[in-house]
This record gives sequence, structure tokens and C-alpha cells, in this order.
Amino acid sequence: MGRSNVAEFHKIIARLKTALESPAPSGTPAPSSGDSSEPAPVAPPNNRAELISSFAREFEAVSGGFLGVLAPDEAARRIASLAQEAGARMVAIGEGVTTDASLFTHALEGAGCVVEKFGKLDDGERPAALERLARCDLAVAEAHYAIASTGTFAVVGAPARPNSLTLLPPISVIVVHVDRLVANVAQALAALGPDLVSAHRLSLITGPSRTADIEKRIVLGVHGPKSLYGAIIWPRNG
Amino acid sequence: MAVAPKADFFEASLRAVADHELHRKLQNASDRHLDHVAQARAEFPPFEAERDAARRIKEQSIARLDELLIELKRRLEENGCNVIFAATAEQARDYIVSLAKKNRLRRAVKGKSMTTEEIGLNQALGTAGLEVTETDLGEYIVQLRGEPPSHIITPAIHLSKEDVGALFAEKLNMPYTAEPEALTAEARKRLRSAFLGADLGITGVNFAIAETGTLVVVENEGNGRMSCTLPETYVAVLGIEKVIPKLSDLSHFLEILARTATGQKLTTYTNFISGPRRAGEIDGPREVHVVILDGGRSAMLADAVMREALYCIRCGACLNACPVYRRIGGHAYNSTYPGPIGSIISPSLFGSAAGHLPFASTLCGACRDICPVRIDIPRLLLHVRWRETETADETRALAWPRATARARAAVVRFARMARHPRLIRMMARIGLALLGPFARDGYVRRMPPPFNNWTKARDFPVPRPRSHHGTANGAVKRGRVP
Repeated sequence: MGRSNVAEFHKIIARLKTALESPAPSGTPAPSSGDSSEPAPVAPPNNRAELISSFAREFEAVSGGFLGVLAPDEAARRIASLAQEAGARMVAIGEGVTTDASLFTHALEGAGCVVEKFGKLDDGERPAALERLARCDLAVAEAHYAIASTGTFAVVGAPARPNSLTLLPPISVIVVHVDRLVANVAQALAALGPDLVSAHRLSLITGPSRTADIEKRIVLGVHGPKSLYGAIIWPRNG
Repeated sequence: MAVAPKADFFEASLRAVADHELHRKLQNASDRHLDHVAQARAEFPPFEAERDAARRIKEQSIARLDELLIELKRRLEENGCNVIFAATAEQARDYIVSLAKKNRLRRAVKGKSMTTEEIGLNQALGTAGLEVTETDLGEYIVQLRGEPPSHIITPAIHLSKEDVGALFAEKLNMPYTAEPEALTAEARKRLRSAFLGADLGITGVNFAIAETGTLVVVENEGNGRMSCTLPETYVAVLGIEKVIPKLSDLSHFLEILARTATGQKLTTYTNFISGPRRAGEIDGPREVHVVILDGGRSAMLADAVMREALYCIRCGACLNACPVYRRIGGHAYNSTYPGPIGSIISPSLFGSAAGHLPFASTLCGACRDICPVRIDIPRLLLHVRWRETETADETRALAWPRATARARAAVVRFARMARHPRLIRMMARIGLALLGPFARDGYVRRMPPPFNNWTKARDFPVPRPRSHHGTANGAVKRGRVP
């Protein structure tokens, strides 16, 4: 298969080269060497308060439950009480990005939850780990960035912070450090950067899983989480 | 993927035009969609600037598609993906089927992908003994019905909640309900176990970033994310036109795609897949195979006018805006890609069997106005029509050029007649007298040959006894110009 496909690749590329020799479509400018990636003029809210209020508003507009701007220990208590209210027994926690996740672990264990954590696993352990994660009632993850203009979290996967934390359990809680709030999608992609993107699985998450496939009626929780809660972490000395 | 011949299209559209229930459903869904889009655009002042930016990036990317694909291949391979170029749908299918056999794969879950519909992948995998489950709710519904999707974004747009309720009651043995929540919950339960038991995941791709070797899959439900995360083997299928140069280019597309496709600011999930899972991770497949399909696209590239069709980002908005699509629905087109954009690209992808589709348009331009990358769809429709009539194959040569010649001769005769006012008045009187016997309730619904083709699909209003010409003439004589 290998060799024949290499031949196919070269054939297709040759065909494209020939095709491109025909004149460019009329009325369209010739390709310029200029930077096509310059962000369009978006007026970003440029201070923290505006970013926070914009994020909270947009996050709620996509059916997210905004828990507030909280210090780490407050966030831990809030998440623990959320788990209790939801009757969550098994909870999965991913490693923090800037926040010490053990705070959350302690609070949740104090609330009577069984806490699942993840580290480097062998391939053989994978199916069991996925099963465990799928059985969890709630998961807590920290995002790398959050986008104020769309109410979006950018979550980056790693061995101790699986991407499916925010996919499999029916209740998802995502926190983000206040310094990592950015104005728009362009800024989020710039902050993530090409190196991080090519080395990790990542998702931009804007609200709970949803569908409008039956008569365009919005139903939440079709495959991913039915509920998504978000908090902004602002350490007291920060 | 076969396209039905012109006669079948004519029959199917006549049936659809008479189906008022279908109109209600299409109208309902399309109106909601267009309202949401209008609102999303109005709330986002930079929308027009983002449209221009996205258009420019597409122009530049397509103009150096060869280089970008070489870079994409290299970067994907560096990230650990297997990259396969398929010149034809058959090559793409064969690769995936032989991969399934080699890896002894049994159960496949699929995220929504028009490109896999285009290559007829489900049938091929089914024949090879795999159990294939569509996991997008709309796709799952049409798969249970044994139908193809009727819209590229909303596959079950032609069905009401009652239709889905009856379907689930019959096929899934659940008590009948027409509540979208209950129906969705049932689908969630069944599909969750399909995800956890699958060994092959398949999705389409919205954008492929050459710079980073990254596939971007945009979706709302989470099924695409499941399909590329849980099974051990993952296959992504994309057309060659999906490549964009840089990560920083992506934001322009994300800012316009969801706003136009669904009226959202951003879809719920935008997934970035750059390779198989890394050591120690539990997420992601062991193998990633990226199938990059030409399938007629390089021919579009070679045609200076058609090249513009490769800018399409498959948002589906032109379908909802199209008065023809809104009347006949997606199934009548009998092509993977219905509606205005489908009418342009289907002849290139599926051959002259789809050559009649570009004629199913009123050229009203609603599609051009809504297109987020400003594709001049009416211009392309005219171009494809011209190409279809000029470069027709043997069978088509029998029908179209003759029709063209007849039309041309008729216009020449009319032009000659129109130079003689007296003659034209006389002809109008004769015409009126001849039409009289066919009129019923103010309309002529059936005319004898050779005019019967006209009344097959249209009702002709009975001409008023006094013509416009006569009225205007009288007014001029009385010194009052209306």
C-alpha cells in the first residue's frame, strides 16, 4: 500500500500543479505574499473586569452555569457542594494547570466523594481507565485559556489531564485562572500557539453538549456532558 | 455515490412540490435557521471583515494547494499520522476497507461527515462485514430510516418530531413519544455503548492546518470528539480543499462558520487532533489515518471559474436560503450535496449524471448573499450550465443542444414578429382564442404539445382580454401615461 500511495500522492500533486497553471479566477486578487492571518479588527474588552463580565454573560448564554470568580479554596468548597447537590458519588479530577488540584480533591473527599485521578498509564490499563472515567458522575478540569467573547474554555489534554474528562462524565466543571482570560478566538489560538497545538489533543468547549437535529429544538447532553459549570480562579494574592 | 437521472429528479421534485407537510417542516427549520443567522451576524460587528479575511485565506490557500498539501502531509506524518492520498472515491474506500480488514476491526462509530457520504463509505464497510453506527443524532435518525441525509448540516431536516417518535418506537422498541428530550436521551443511551464498544472511529474534517499538522473537527454533540478519542483506530476523511496554511488563519473561519451554519457564536466543540495518543495518555487512538481525497476536485481547480467552489466551508446556509431547496428538500436532488452549492459541485464530483442539477435554480442570488466566503453561486451555476450544454457527452447531446437550438430559433422568430406591431397584435388575439378552451378557474393547467412541457410544472394565468400593450396604448392616446 505504501509505495502505490506515494505514487498516488505525486500524481495528485502533479495534477494540482497543472491545474494551477490555468489563469486565476477573474475578479479575485492574485495571491499576495502579505500576512493573511492578521486578526480582523475586533474591539476587545481590555481589562479584567470587562473580560470577566463578558465571559460570564456568554458562558450563561450557551447554558453554562457560572459559579463566579473565586479564590482556589472557595472554588474547592463550591465544587464540593455542587457535587453534593447533584448527588455525585464518583468524581474525576485532572491535574491543574496553574491551580493545585489537591485542594479540589480534599474538598470533594471531605464531601464523601470517591475521587479518581489519572497519571501515566500503560496501553493495557487504558480500557479500564476509560470505563472508570465513563462511570464518574462529575469531573473537574482546568482549562489553559478561556475566551470572553464566546464563553469558551480551551482545554488541553495530557496524561494526568485527559481530554475525555470534559467529555464522558455527565456533569463537567471547568475552571480557569483569571490571567488566562483572553478576548477572542484569535487571541486564544495565538496564546495556545502552534507547538502546543501540534503536540496535544485539545478542544475549545462552548457550553454543554447539544443538538438541534429534531425540528431545530435545542436539547442538551446528547453525547457529552448535560451540565457544564465554570469558575474563574482569582487567587487572593493574585 | 450515484446520482439519479434527470427524469427521476423531475419526478421527485414534482412529488416534493405537492408535499405540503414537507414544506411545513422545511419552512419551519429554514426560517428558524435564517433568523438565528441574521441575529448572530447583527450581534457581531466584525462579521463582514471576518468574511473578507476568510475569503482571502481561501483564495490564497487554493492558489498554492500543491505546496500546502505537501506541507500538511509532512507535518501530519511527523505527528505520527498515516497520510493517504486518494485520487478517486474508490481508492479512498478501498484503503479504509483494507485497513479495517488488516486491523480486524468489527464495529465503527462515525461522526458526521459529508465526504464519507460522498464516497459511499458506509455501504463499503457494511459489505466488508463491519457494523457501522452513525452517531450524530440527525445521521443516526436517517440511518435508522435507511435514508441518506437531506441536508449537509441538519440531516433529518425533512422529519418532524412525530416522525422521529414513530421511528424510534418502531426501530428501538421504546414507547412512542414526540418529545425531543426523551428521544435524544434514548439515542444517548444507545450510542454511548456503541462508542465504548467501537474499535474504529471515523469523522470528516472541517479544516486541516498545514503549519501544525492538525485536523480540526467542529461539532455540537460531542460525537465527533468521542469518535476520535475512544476507538483504537481513527480515520479522518477530507477533501483536498480543506487545508489552510496556519493556526492563526483558523480564527477567521471559526468566527464565521458557526454563525452562518447554526447561528451560534462558536460550535460547542472545536476539536484539534494532531496525531495518535502520546505515551502514557488514555485519550486518543493508537493509529490515525488521514485520507485526503481528490475525487474530482483537481478538475474544479483547473477550471478558472469553478475554482471558486473549492472555497466552500460546507456551512449549509445556502440550502436554507434557496427557494428551490425550500420547496423540494434535499432528497429530490439525489446527490450527497443538495441545494445551490450541491448543484455546482455535484457534476464535478459525480459526473454528467448530475448535469441537470445546475438548472434547478432561479438564480435569485440568496445563496450568494448568505455565503460566508462570498462564493458567487449564481455565476457558478451559469458557468456549469454553460459547460453542461457545451461539453455534453453523447447522451446529453441528444437532449440539450436541440433544446438550445429550438429556443434560439423561437427567439429569432419572435424578434422578427416583434418588429411588426400589427402582426404581434394579431398573434396575441389568435393565442388568446386558442388558449380559451383550456382555461379553468382563471388558469391554463394543461396545454397541448409542444407547449405541454411548460404546463407540466406551471399553471399559466389566462390572459386578460385587454393586453398591457392595449392598455398602455389607450392611455397614451388619452394623454395619460400610466
